[in-house]
Amino acid sequence: MKILIVEDERKTGDYLLQGLTESGFVTDLASNGIDGLHRALTGDYDLMVLDVMLPGLNGWQLLETLRRGGKEMPVLFLTAMDQVDDRVKGLELGADDYLVKPFAFSELLARVRTLLRRGKGAIEASVLRAADLELDLLRRRVTRAGTRIELTAKEFSLLELLLRRQGEVLPRSMIASQVWDMNFDSDTNVIEVAIRRLRAKVDDPFEPKLIRTARGMGYVLELPDCP
Amino acid sequence: MSLTTRLTLLFATGSSVVLLALGWLIGASIERHFEEQDRDALAGKIMLARHAIERISTPQLLAQLPQQLGDAIVGHHDLLIQIASPDKGVLLASPNVVFPAQWLATASDAPLEPLFKWSHDGRDYRGLATAIPTGMAGQAPLVVAVAIDIEHHQMFMTTFMHTLWLFVVGAAAATGLLGWIAASRGLAPLRAMRERAALVTAHKLDQRLPVDAVPAELADLAATLNEMLARLEDAFRRLSDFSSDIAHELRTPVSNLMTQTQVSLSRARDAASYRDILESNAEEFERLARMISDMLFLAKTEYGLSADLVLAHSEPVDLAREVRDLFDFYEALADEKGVRLVLLGDGLVHGDRLMLRRALSNLLSNALRYTPPGGAVTVTLSRTPTHCRLAVENEGETIAPEHLARLFERFYRADPSRQHASGEGTGLGLAITQAIVRAHQGSISVTSSQGRTGFFIELKQA
Repeated sequence: MKILIVEDERKTGDYLLQGLTESGFVTDLASNGIDGLHRALTGDYDLMVLDVMLPGLNGWQLLETLRRGGKEMPVLFLTAMDQVDDRVKGLELGADDYLVKPFAFSELLARVRTLLRRGKGAIEASVLRAADLELDLLRRRVTRAGTRIELTAKEFSLLELLLRRQGEVLPRSMIASQVWDMNFDSDTNVIEVAIRRLRAKVDDPFEPKLIRTARGMGYVLELPDCP
Repeated sequence: MSLTTRLTLLFATGSSVVLLALGWLIGASIERHFEEQDRDALAGKIMLARHAIERISTPQLLAQLPQQLGDAIVGHHDLLIQIASPDKGVLLASPNVVFPAQWLATASDAPLEPLFKWSHDGRDYRGLATAIPTGMAGQAPLVVAVAIDIEHHQMFMTTFMHTLWLFVVGAAAATGLLGWIAASRGLAPLRAMRERAALVTAHKLDQRLPVDAVPAELADLAATLNEMLARLEDAFRRLSDFSSDIAHELRTPVSNLMTQTQVSLSRARDAASYRDILESNAEEFERLARMISDMLFLAKTEYGLSADLVLAHSEPVDLAREVRDLFDFYEALADEKGVRLVLLGDGLVHGDRLMLRRALSNLLSNALRYTPPGGAVTVTLSRTPTHCRLAVENEGETIAPEHLARLFERFYRADPSRQHASGEGTGLGLAITQAIVRAHQGSISVTSSQGRTGFFIELKQA
């Protein structure tokens, strides 16, 4: 998977480059609009992370030219301007998603993965698995090591999300938005509590522990490195 | 052109026009008066002649006529007379006078002949000619023409008009001057306002224009400008409060982060410690980021930008459904704390669903935080004829009145020691809720007594 980052702020660009590379993507960085457009048109990228405020050619202009040039790769906008107008403008011009600065890297990573997964027509599995944990979507049943686990509807959705995105750190805001449709940060530890209760049912009586807290980032369901 | 110049010119032009019209009127009146006077005098003489002529019954009497009339008339040196008979020629004529022939030829015995005017030898005359029949049979009527030298009238008129012109010019100049003085004086309050307005700067927005000291016409303007200043001052004050709040609230976490990072760097540590420090920093950064986005949201909402947004995203919102969804969200938290969530009633309003949800979420999380275990958070929806009323009530420590009024302020915490306790919000929740409610033209209030606290929102019904 190749990703192009167009970002003029050096530090931001560098950490995005490092973060995405370390997450297993092949990543290029362009530090201005002209360069970014050139690379986007000539290179073969699967996704572009695009800052709005750029020297030379701003993000909107770049995106417009890109779409006219027939490039249909997904574009994730980064904007420092917390203005709905800007978002709407970006989305109208053909951006696929946007993030308002400051954003958490885990959030960016989660969105990048969502965009890359989109349209890939992944076969919808009816049973999600991790180690000996099984979640049956059709029968709405969860078992671990053959033992039936009773979950509430929201706990089921939460576990489904974690299983679908195995190995990805999911930020709290994303969990709140995906499971409860709450598109803002709650100032409570409600996600923490929900995770704790899920763990109590899914992880506590069993080994290995699957749900891990990534401090300062979010939660991830993955098999521990050392068995 | 300055207002003073305009007013001055307006005064001068206005008074000149009026004076000119008046001068013309007076001139015309005097002229007519003179004419009447002349006509009376001339008519008197004609009458005199008529009496004499009508009594003529013999040629002797006709011959005596010049003598008789001459005595009566010829003495007035500015009064001229000529009596002629068509058959016998001129009977009597004042010296040095020539009456215009066409007037004499057309003379009749009509009672009101028109006065005629002519000039001769550099002098102006006004005259009257009448044909008067004699009492003598076979004698043709005598044509009697009398005239007055109107030189002195003309002289008077010339002098008069001359004076009048001088007066008009002088008066125009004088009114112009007076107008200028009046305009300058009258506009003095404007200058005073300007001087006062010049004192208004970003640092001295409390200056106001003098409403009582200016004339009534300007008082409205001054009052309107003052209102504008008040709004500016308010906005400016809020803006600077906002900036200082941000600075103040950011100072503690930033200084913590800085110290912690510097201490960590001061000597070599193992990977686990670095990880621990970075994780702790990440948590703190996340909090900072949330505070910034909350502040931005609040800024937009408070400065009215959101009123448009609310309109743009307005849709019918089923409040009961929103509350149920939020209960779903907070269920785990409430359960863990042993707090029950109760919803009563329903209500439908118009608004931005996401914003309203956020407002309610803040109230619920706030209520949950302060409800003791075993207690309940009750959301009651009710309707007045025009409004929807939403009450979020919970048991908990009574909030003191001095705190109650300030709960909606940014970063206000009733208990200062809880400033940065973990799990605490950014201190913006209630301020955001209030801003959202206001952006929806609604109202929000809070009461707290006898161990019960309630927040009440009123929104227009859909």
